[in-house]
Amino acid sequence: MGWPVATAGHISLRNGFLKPAEPRKVATTLWGLRTFHAARGGEAGESPGMGQGSASRTRILVRRATPFAAIAAIFAVQTLADPQPVLAFPLYLAVVLLVSLQQDIAESLAVAGAAAVAGLVAPLAAGDQTSDLATAIVLGAVLAGVALGTSTLSRRARARASEMHRRLDELADAEQQLRTTLESAGVGLALADLDGRFTQVNPALAAILGRGRDELTGMSAVEVTAEQDRPAVAGAVALIRRGDVARWEGQVTQQRPDGVAVPVALFMAKLPGSAGAPALLIQASDATDSRRADALRDCAAAVRGIIAASPGLEPAMPGLLAAFRENLGWHKGHYSSSRAEALTAGDELAARVWQAGLLAAEVDTGRSAVAFPVIDTGEVVGVIELSSPAMKRVADDEASMLSRAGVEIGQFIRRAETAQALRRSEADHRAIFERSPIGIARVGGDGELLEANPSLLQMLEHDADSMRTGAWPDMMRAYDQAAARLGKSTFLAGVTDGNSVQVRAATGAGTWLWMQMTATSIPDSTGRPEHVLVMVEDVTAVRETSDKLAEALEAQRAAIANLEKLDTTKSEFLSIVSHEFRTALTGIQGFSELIRDGGLEPDEVRAYGGYIFNDADRVNRLIGDMLDLDRMESGRMTMRAADVDINDILMEAIARASTATVTVEFKSDLDPRLPIVAGDRDRLIQVVSNLVNNAVKYSPEGGTVTLTSRVEGKYALISVTDTGIGIPPEEIGHVFERFRRVRSGAAQSIPGTGLGLTIVKQIVEMHGGRIWVESAVGHGSSFHFTMPLAPEGAAALQLRHG
Amino acid sequence: MAESPNGAAKFTVLVADDNEVAQRLCKRVLEKAGYGVLIAADGLQAVDIALAQKPSMILMDVAMPGIDGLEAMRRIKTEVPAMPIVIASAHSMASDRERFLAAGADNVLSKPFRLADLISIVEQLAHAGSM
Repeated sequence: MGWPVATAGHISLRNGFLKPAEPRKVATTLWGLRTFHAARGGEAGESPGMGQGSASRTRILVRRATPFAAIAAIFAVQTLADPQPVLAFPLYLAVVLLVSLQQDIAESLAVAGAAAVAGLVAPLAAGDQTSDLATAIVLGAVLAGVALGTSTLSRRARARASEMHRRLDELADAEQQLRTTLESAGVGLALADLDGRFTQVNPALAAILGRGRDELTGMSAVEVTAEQDRPAVAGAVALIRRGDVARWEGQVTQQRPDGVAVPVALFMAKLPGSAGAPALLIQASDATDSRRADALRDCAAAVRGIIAASPGLEPAMPGLLAAFRENLGWHKGHYSSSRAEALTAGDELAARVWQAGLLAAEVDTGRSAVAFPVIDTGEVVGVIELSSPAMKRVADDEASMLSRAGVEIGQFIRRAETAQALRRSEADHRAIFERSPIGIARVGGDGELLEANPSLLQMLEHDADSMRTGAWPDMMRAYDQAAARLGKSTFLAGVTDGNSVQVRAATGAGTWLWMQMTATSIPDSTGRPEHVLVMVEDVTAVRETSDKLAEALEAQRAAIANLEKLDTTKSEFLSIVSHEFRTALTGIQGFSELIRDGGLEPDEVRAYGGYIFNDADRVNRLIGDMLDLDRMESGRMTMRAADVDINDILMEAIARASTATVTVEFKSDLDPRLPIVAGDRDRLIQVVSNLVNNAVKYSPEGGTVTLTSRVEGKYALISVTDTGIGIPPEEIGHVFERFRRVRSGAAQSIPGTGLGLTIVKQIVEMHGGRIWVESAVGHGSSFHFTMPLAPEGAAALQLRHG
Repeated sequence: MAESPNGAAKFTVLVADDNEVAQRLCKRVLEKAGYGVLIAADGLQAVDIALAQKPSMILMDVAMPGIDGLEAMRRIKTEVPAMPIVIASAHSMASDRERFLAAGADNVLSKPFRLADLISIVEQLAHAGSM
């Protein structure tokens, strides 16, 4: 059967487990086991007289000489007693037989020969009948034959016996070896009866169970098992006893008397006993190391599993701590995520680990703990502490596994944080994209719309499809045109910055909006623009407001410019007016002073009085003109509408001017059909006399002033023409402006208020007429004005009645 | 040039003014005070007379037809830098006075003026010239 060999075959024996002195001792103590050796087939004692090297040479010689001595004795007796040879023969035969049974063929034949010779000697000596001799010869031959045959037979028998001995010896050696092996085996072995009571226990098993071999003998395999595994072991023993199973294997925990629980791989098998009573072979190997290795592996795998499945450290930590606790047999696990936490918890071990960044363990009878750092890129970010109320050492492999786990968890924290940040960022961006009130478009490198957010679609009143195929390409074109106008890079040329342009875009409903488009390119990992984000804002209201503002601003600017011009004009006006007044006053004041101081001739006094009067009159006119103009311009001028004969006014003007002026000739060409018109007579006289005075003033000596009137459609056309110096072309557009005359060098010698033509124009226009001038330098000027003729025209007069 | 009663060359004033009333007033007052008076009715005349007859000083109006008094003064001063010229103008604001002095006027007389002021200005120059 060879059971020990078969069993030992799958148990790994540990080197150096047994002390070198033990084998001999084991061999002697286990001697008794032979009884149970099934293959042995019985007792194999040492045969006496078979010891090859133990007989002395003397004894061999004695043994060999003895048969010959016996034959000689028989011969002597035969000779002396003279018996019949036949009588001596059985004696000879007996000797030969004995020798041939024990000795080899040569010795047997020698003895037989000697006996035959002894048998022959007597007949030969007696000289008896030949019959006796013949009988003696026959007997001798028989002796030789017997010797030969018996010797051969006995040699074979001895050879067989010798072979048997050799085999038995070999068997004994093998058993010896086996026992030594078993005694020195690291695996625990025992024999027990079918109730599981140990009968034989090897030292290894005794060591595993923490009891003496003697103590164990008689104890039950169930008894040494930890409480929780006892039913399993008892059940197994029962099964084997009943023959339901031939063998049983299992992982159980054995309970040592010192309280330490030892994990054990248990194997039990039924053996046929030597006396027909079967026995139980029990094999137990200490699985502490292999189980710890398994546990470490399981723990590491569990940690990795949790890390892989968890979104972050917080949800993962309870599972991680549980994995450490359950796989490694710790009672409690705690994670400190900050040094402060470790310190405030009064946890010196954790604080030390924070400090050192290395795993540390404390072993005490009351409490054992191990703490290891969670390391993220070289920095301690947390400490995991495992503790147990029992004494528990941390083996090197466990320590290194925990350290590795700390690093893995650290990397996991980093990954989880990164992933969390990514998720948050992604969620933020998605929310911005979806909820932003600003339209956002994700656009590919070719300008095609990849995605438009709800705001954009809503803003432009398009669905995603019509947006992509219709509205967006239009907007892209508008964008490029607008960008090109602004000298910015076009969309397709590659947007790199926050280019912002405003474009007009049609909504799906057909209204037009102003859209502000701001493009920002988003680079891929190589920095190449991957796609472009375009923010689209409806700036229609802003734009319209700003357009209106711009218009208003422009108007304002113009108004300000006007005001400034007015201001300048006013300053100039004041400057001119004061100059005019002071010039007039110079004469008045100077001559008055002369008169006052007295001592003048009466003629002088008269003349000076004339100068004073003229200048005073001029001052008066100036004031009157200014007030008139101001009233006309401010709309406060009062005119009295009445029937007016224009020809009459013209004639009077000529008459007046002729009296005052002798150097100029007056002509008139008046249309007698000219009807009476409605107007303010005094003002119209003012107009005509102004024009006539002007004409006179600018006419050289001997010049002609011509007054004409005629009907021209619905208007009376009146002209005053002189043959004077004329008005330069650059001045002709300004003749009706205030004080223009004064600013114009050529006519400065002509006295006047500089307000006459301005007043004339105002009066004509207030009557619903028009005034203009034609002139050629050196040839003279013609001033024309019209007056409406029709009653309806008169009604249209812009005259103001009191 | 007329001789003064004491035989020295008479101090002559050129009055350049387009306003006849002003011309007459100045002429009457200055002659009465014993000065010689020349009359110019515009800027060009003033320049011509000033250069031709070398008056002792010029009383120059500004707003005159043709070239104005300031331009006339510039031309005269170019030829005769030492010629005393008093600007007599109805442009009587403070800024005008500065403007005229900056343009080279020796003195400024604002119109309308008191007769004593006219005489005083001329007298100053007459004294300065005789010393």
